[in-house]
Amino acid sequence: MGEKKKFKIDKSKIMVSITIFIICFIIVYVMCIQFKTVNKIDVAEIETMRENELREALADWKEQYQDVSKELEYNKTKIAEYESKIESNEEAGELLEEELENAKMLLGLTDVKGEGVIINLSSNSELEVTSQNLLDLVNELNSAGAEAISINDQRIVAMTDIVDVGNFVVINENRIASPYTIKAIGDVTYLQSALNIKKGFLDEYQTNGYTISMKSDNNISINKYDGEMTLDYVK
Amino acid sequence: MIIGAIVLGCLIGVILGVNAPIISYTYSGYLAIAIIAALDSIFGGISATLKGNFDFKVFVSGFFGNAILSMLLTYLGDKLNVDIYLAAIVVFVNRMFLNLTIIRKYYIEKIWTEKKVKSTNKSKSE
Repeated sequence: MGEKKKFKIDKSKIMVSITIFIICFIIVYVMCIQFKTVNKIDVAEIETMRENELREALADWKEQYQDVSKELEYNKTKIAEYESKIESNEEAGELLEEELENAKMLLGLTDVKGEGVIINLSSNSELEVTSQNLLDLVNELNSAGAEAISINDQRIVAMTDIVDVGNFVVINENRIASPYTIKAIGDVTYLQSALNIKKGFLDEYQTNGYTISMKSDNNISINKYDGEMTLDYVK
Repeated sequence: MIIGAIVLGCLIGVILGVNAPIISYTYSGYLAIAIIAALDSIFGGISATLKGNFDFKVFVSGFFGNAILSMLLTYLGDKLNVDIYLAAIVVFVNRMFLNLTIIRKYYIEKIWTEKKVKSTNKSKSE
């Protein structure tokens, strides 16, 4: 009876010991894991932030991302719109460019080539070529349908001045001197006939004693006007 | 025998715990609250033992029950966006301090009475 009682006590004591052993084991084990986890997390800065803070930051970023993606979408549609507009405008642009090129050519802002005549006019010991002679010639050429004229590589444009300054002729504010080479692009037959006509320009000048000659050329190149063209008062 | 079980349990726990893998940060909060609950149960058990009304079944069920319940509450708080684990920690730590007070008082009283007995014995022998 006594033995049995002792055994019973022993049994319960063993049970208690085992349970306490298990409890101690569990709590120490879990604490070790926790210490290790916390230690490890302290290393990286972001992981020391509390979860809530991280969540807030994440929500912030998500919102920003949504905003930005919305903006991106908006800009994309805008770009598509503009692109379609550009496509439709491209034809108009081409037309406009052509027109601009044409206008530049007319103004004398481009180098041009074409058939035409070259006139050499020079002063001699008896007679001096003045600006008036050159103006007359330019006038004659224009009336014969010349499309581009240059005198000693000075392009004659709408604003060109041909004046005498002292013993020199000034064209486009550049001093030039004899001999003068006048190039004109236009219909060769018209130009030649207009100048060669009886009592015409060449005839008259030759009889007056100027040194003048004319020849035709199929490929004359005339340089562009290289000054500046500004409009200050035209509105 | 019980002290041996405690020492053995702690030793094996440390040996295995040092080599254990770390867990995700999300779950470490649950583990922490479970540890606090378990420690509270242990202190409660010690104070009950000193008071003489220690019940082993109550101790074991409290140990596991409190840990699991506190983890469940923390989970619920996470889902409800309320920091319930703070309340659990307040309760557990409060109880830990109360139990520690009981333990402290018990030993102070014991040492005091022993001294008194000793001194009375001394005076008696004199």
